[in-house]
Amino acid sequence: MISIIQYFPVNLSAIQSQHMVLAVTGYSVVILAFFLLALLFSVIPKILSWNVRRTFKDEGDETKKALAGNMIPGEVSAAIGMAISLYLDELHDQETAILTIRKVGKSYSPWNSKIYNVINFKGFQG
Amino acid sequence: MDGLVQLFGYSGFANVTPGHLLMILVGMVFIYLAIRYEYQPILLVPIGFGILIGNTPFIEHGGMALGIYQDGSVLNYLYQGVLKGIFPPLIFLGIGAMTDFSPLISNPKLILLGAAAQFGIFMTYLGAISLGFTNPESASIGIIGGADGPTAIFLSSRLAPHLIGSIAIAAYTYMALVPLIQPPIMRLLTTQKERRIKMKPPRSVTKIEKVMFPVFGLLLTGFIAPGSLPLLGMLFLGNLLKESMVTKRLADTAKNAMIDIVTIILGVTIGASTQATTFLTHSSVLIFILGATAFMFSTAGGILFAKFMNLFLSAENKINPLIGAAGVAAVPESARVVQLEGLKADPDNHLLMHAMAPNVAGIIGSAVAAGIMMSFLL
Repeated sequence: MISIIQYFPVNLSAIQSQHMVLAVTGYSVVILAFFLLALLFSVIPKILSWNVRRTFKDEGDETKKALAGNMIPGEVSAAIGMAISLYLDELHDQETAILTIRKVGKSYSPWNSKIYNVINFKGFQG
Repeated sequence: MDGLVQLFGYSGFANVTPGHLLMILVGMVFIYLAIRYEYQPILLVPIGFGILIGNTPFIEHGGMALGIYQDGSVLNYLYQGVLKGIFPPLIFLGIGAMTDFSPLISNPKLILLGAAAQFGIFMTYLGAISLGFTNPESASIGIIGGADGPTAIFLSSRLAPHLIGSIAIAAYTYMALVPLIQPPIMRLLTTQKERRIKMKPPRSVTKIEKVMFPVFGLLLTGFIAPGSLPLLGMLFLGNLLKESMVTKRLADTAKNAMIDIVTIILGVTIGASTQATTFLTHSSVLIFILGATAFMFSTAGGILFAKFMNLFLSAENKINPLIGAAGVAAVPESARVVQLEGLKADPDNHLLMHAMAPNVAGIIGSAVAAGIMMSFLL
């Protein structure tokens, strides 16, 4: 045990007032900086939604309530996102279906013959 | 015959020491942890392999300029990026381009947890002073508690360049070991009832808020702690590249190719800087112990501050104190740990999105703490 203490010689008297000042001030400044950042970003959404709220001030209570916190709830966003995604996916399927209709080329050659076309058609299907 | 003797003299077999073998073993353990358990493999594989490179023995005074500490060697040139503090801001640019600050913007009070979790930095600073380290050395060791490798490297490159290797290895090791270090502290400081607290789902965030965050975030933190500008300037620039949606190519490069290149070079050189002849010292052992302490204090600081905030919050706005542990900047590992611990208490309680808020705030917090340390000590 003694050898461990000798290996890790903790000397609390080495911590002087200047070190305490750095530690306490430093930590306080970090908290203060973040407090200001939190305050700023609590206010910004309210400022941004001020114009919207004014536009809708004559709307019903439900709209006012929804706008009061300037927020679209996460569930609503998710539902809207899902609806858009499904809609776009549907369009994509249609588009793909059209684009996949390929023209089968039957180019003429001096050696054009029935057997040439059969081989070419098989190649497309494979 | 003389030629053969000379060849043997230059070989690793003639120059190997027990220290080299020990460090080679450490490097292999890093690689094993990364591949077998996937503990931060992106960092631990290059660092572990760097340790092997740095500790393959060779004759140091043979004029071959091989080692990382020898002027003119290739490794020494690459290491300048660490010593001059060039790599950390570049990594921050990539992190900024990867990070989504929405969880934090949607619930700004959670930012405070990212600040509170810097507690370990300042406690460990005092601990290092009491163990006989100098003021700048103590600050560099303390920053390990921010759980942010680039910030630790940046600050120690400025304040204590001779300790960079030990500090970086300690920081990255403990970041990889977050899943082992944090859960016991989380369980110790919270009750089962607290761990079951369900938080309100975060609101959606508008694009304009996302664009404003890096601009105002930089100005506010930069004015308070200008020392953090190289790190936070690049972090917020990366984030603006991402959120503005008009610089997609730049954002893609920053978050993919560029950060990967820098991570490889940084990892290898940090690993190689652990040459047994300079790394295996009494100081390195103390730094490892202090680093672990810093992590524990930071985790505890975040959790206790969340409990303190709950004293002032209404029942529906209560914070699950587990997310305070994510205030350390080990992104996203500590947020994942919070999610897993939350699920253990209540299988329906998903805390990941909430934990990401203090987690990304922790990146900013550790950089601000580093800036403040620099303002005091430079």
